[in-house]
Amino acid sequence: MNGGASSREQILERIQRATPGAAASAAALAEDYGALPRAYVRAGRLDADACVELMVHRLREYDAEVVECAAEELPGTIAAQLAASGRRSFVAPPGVPAEWLAAGFDWRIDHGLTAAEIEAAEGVVTAAFCGVADSGTIVLHHSASEGRRVLTLLPDWHLCILRASQVVETLPEYFGRAAGNQGSGDEKAGTRDLGTEGLGNCGHETGRLPRLVTWISGPSATADIEMTRIKGVHGPRFLHVIVVKDRKLGTQGPATQGLSVQ
Amino acid sequence: MRASLFITCYNDTLFPETGRAVVTLLERLGVEVEFHPQQTCCGQMHANTGFRGEAFSLAKRLICMYGEAEAVVIPSSSCVAMIRDQYAGLVEELGDGALGRELETLLPRVYELSEFLVDRLGVEDVGAYFPHRVTYHASCHGLRALNLGNGPLRLLAKVRGLELAPLKNLDRCCGFGGTFAIKNGEVSSAMLTAKLQDVLATGSEYCTALDNSCLLHLGGALHRQFAGMKTIHMAEILASTQDAVAGHPGDGDLLPGAPVGSWR
Amino acid sequence: MAVSAAADRPILDPARARPFPEAALPVLRDPQLRKNVAHAIDVIQGKRARLVAEKADWQALRASASRIKDVALQNLGAYLEEFEARCTAAGGVVHWAADASEARRIILDVLRAEKATEVIKIKTMTSAEIELNPFLEAAGIRAHETDLAEIILQLGEGEPSHIVVPALHVNRSQVREIFARRMGIEDLPDDPEALTAAARRVLRAKFLSVPTAISGANFLIAETGSVVVVESEGNGRMCLTLPRTLITLAGIEKVLPRFRDLEVMLQVLARSATGERMNPYTSLWTGVTAGDGPERFHVVLLDNGRSGILARERERQTLRCIRCAACMNACPVYRQTGGHAYGSVYPGPIGAILTPQLQGLRHAQSLPYASSLCGACYEVCPVKINIPEVLIDLRAQVTDQERQRARRFFDPLYLGLRVAHLVFARAWLFHAAQCLGRVGLRPFTRKDGWIHALPGVGAKWTETRDLRGLPQQTFHAWWAERAKGAK
Repeated sequence: MNGGASSREQILERIQRATPGAAASAAALAEDYGALPRAYVRAGRLDADACVELMVHRLREYDAEVVECAAEELPGTIAAQLAASGRRSFVAPPGVPAEWLAAGFDWRIDHGLTAAEIEAAEGVVTAAFCGVADSGTIVLHHSASEGRRVLTLLPDWHLCILRASQVVETLPEYFGRAAGNQGSGDEKAGTRDLGTEGLGNCGHETGRLPRLVTWISGPSATADIEMTRIKGVHGPRFLHVIVVKDRKLGTQGPATQGLSVQ
Repeated sequence: MRASLFITCYNDTLFPETGRAVVTLLERLGVEVEFHPQQTCCGQMHANTGFRGEAFSLAKRLICMYGEAEAVVIPSSSCVAMIRDQYAGLVEELGDGALGRELETLLPRVYELSEFLVDRLGVEDVGAYFPHRVTYHASCHGLRALNLGNGPLRLLAKVRGLELAPLKNLDRCCGFGGTFAIKNGEVSSAMLTAKLQDVLATGSEYCTALDNSCLLHLGGALHRQFAGMKTIHMAEILASTQDAVAGHPGDGDLLPGAPVGSWR
Repeated sequence: MAVSAAADRPILDPARARPFPEAALPVLRDPQLRKNVAHAIDVIQGKRARLVAEKADWQALRASASRIKDVALQNLGAYLEEFEARCTAAGGVVHWAADASEARRIILDVLRAEKATEVIKIKTMTSAEIELNPFLEAAGIRAHETDLAEIILQLGEGEPSHIVVPALHVNRSQVREIFARRMGIEDLPDDPEALTAAARRVLRAKFLSVPTAISGANFLIAETGSVVVVESEGNGRMCLTLPRTLITLAGIEKVLPRFRDLEVMLQVLARSATGERMNPYTSLWTGVTAGDGPERFHVVLLDNGRSGILARERERQTLRCIRCAACMNACPVYRQTGGHAYGSVYPGPIGAILTPQLQGLRHAQSLPYASSLCGACYEVCPVKINIPEVLIDLRAQVTDQERQRARRFFDPLYLGLRVAHLVFARAWLFHAAQCLGRVGLRPFTRKDGWIHALPGVGAKWTETRDLRGLPQQTFHAWWAERAKGAK
């Protein structure tokens, strides 16, 4: 850009002059950062069952439809949800297991569908990366089983499959999982190495952090007119969630056996 | 226990009865009250209007004045907030290290009246009698800058005969704000109107507070509107006993038997 | 109603806006507008209070949030360079804009290279700050706002009065009128559901056809070069994923050191802003990703006065702001005046400190005084900006500036404060002044002991309130008398 380089230098120079107390080295900066207070609640206090219960409660508060089922009941439960929706045409990301694609419906698998093709679908079925019970948030890292971002955006109806073992209580627990510290299996597909060579000028050790994330807390909403909450302005108006009781932590639920989209 | 009373400039001029009540109350509780005759103003008005140099000179004057005092008691939450929140910055910017050290030794000895009673003396029942329906206006500085919490309400709860009426939107400003009431007179009046609605809705005879500046504002509007409700500093309620019920100048018609102050 | 009447259109340019006390008058005299504002902020305030109360670690979150921003600001240069390197490595293009005009030019250059004739936009206060829309319009590029409130304002030719719910001053029947007129829809009912549906229909076509989008940023992540946008409606997700080219305009203060810092920021932001545990949609993206979202991504890092704020020790905390608007929702002044009186796209307490610092004090002299210093803003601020402290500091700067001017010498307030200082500096003079005051006010004092009307500056008080007359005996005189009697 014309003049861009000079503005860059000018701004950085102004900042440098304005911050005489800035850390002198990457190590000093890492130390400054490390000294930040973090007295807030990190680990949740609920047991696994109560945590899932809270997640379900929160999702329902957001007007999401939630059903729970055992792992082996999942295909049947999906089929029942699809049938109950009264819709026929669905899209799904390429990474979802074949048994999710219930017979008797029109399925289009997203091997590069156009926006118009996705828009034409009546609903979408995907997996998720994580659920945060405290806020009823579903987190997508857009792996092969969670789909490209646009896939869960244009259809008016979203059925999301969440395994109980993917549900954490607090947001900090999600961030722990996202950083790969205590992953639950699926995150690898949506996590790419962002590379560390030659860029780490702030003393950060960049691990495998997600490149794309969408945090979804209930259906699209607005309160712009007289603070009246209206569901579904632009995103899906209907969010349905199936919570799969896969019990033991670390066991792989069906959502992990995906093909790679890329 | 000795306490030096910093009455504040506006109380000295406009609300001498508050000062008299503080003296009555503290002496009744066995506190020896001192009064430094050279005292004037804490500098709040100057600081909040942007006159830092002037504010500093008044701050310095006050810091030096109370070097020896065992405790400084101030019946005005906004003036206490001024000393606690703004003096350090003024001294750092315009003063020297020696003054800074003097301020450091002063700050722990400075008390808002209710703090002095509850925290320093450890009393809640001061033996007061005030047979009226009263609502308490928390005043922003008392509520947020000093974090007085429920200390003032505990003091009022122990006053015999007093019926406490809770005030809605307790945390909302009455719109005084010192020169704000002049510089933004219309906005200030709108805030005052909103506050008055809540105050009048309590159906109280009195609105009390620990800061006469809010009461000057509220009282002025109540009087303009012939609302019938009076304002009274909490010191005057706490000083009242069965023998001597406090009253305001001009209150004689409202409160038979109330001692008329040195009004006119 | 002033929503579309051009004559009454509020001016949100600090260089041209009227002083706050004057600009507040039309609102103070508009009961419908005040009702709309009070209703909206009562709803948000109530929800916020409930959700903050359920969070036992709220103060710990505030402490962390404010310190994270402090470390980021203290080391802003290093973090911005890290962001730039990571974002570039991920396929983004990073631009630096020293001021508003440079940012506008950079954005226009990108749009011209894309041969864009229209662009879809996510609500961004920063683009309002640099007055981007009229600039693009003049250059022949139509900017379509996609946030519902922004559409209401754009179609109704209104101005934002709040940074989170910019059209909170407009009620449903006014929205209906605007939509019916500008979208050409007859028999549109005035229930919010139908109005929202109308906006959805009109915008869906735009989302699917316009290949260029502009967004702001809630956070930039230095560690990963990622950008985060927080929203409710999904218009953001549309703009971030459907177009071929995305331009993000972000103030330099938006950078956070690391990805995990979001675990604090996302917890405090929605609770403070809309009274939700989490807003419906939050998007994070990193450069460009093959097969998912835009093919070309530009970030414009905007200074526009921010490095100047960074340089001032006491004011630096202003840059911690995460634009949640909790301060304006809590502010008793904003509650009465709404946002337009602040003469800036940033209203409320944060606007009162941000605008004068971004635009220069000479343009916004009245704003630091547009507060009763009640401290409600500081109490609710999730990043603990001590707004009253900054207001007082800015007042000192205004005063220093103004005292240089001769005309201020005789300004009653300035003169009064100078005299007051002389008086307070000497007890005997103070006591003399009290006597003088008592005598001077006697003609204005009625029999009941109250003053009902004062001349000059004092009239500002007595217009709506009475003033207690000065009692005969001051406290110190009483004390002296008592001491004498005791002897």
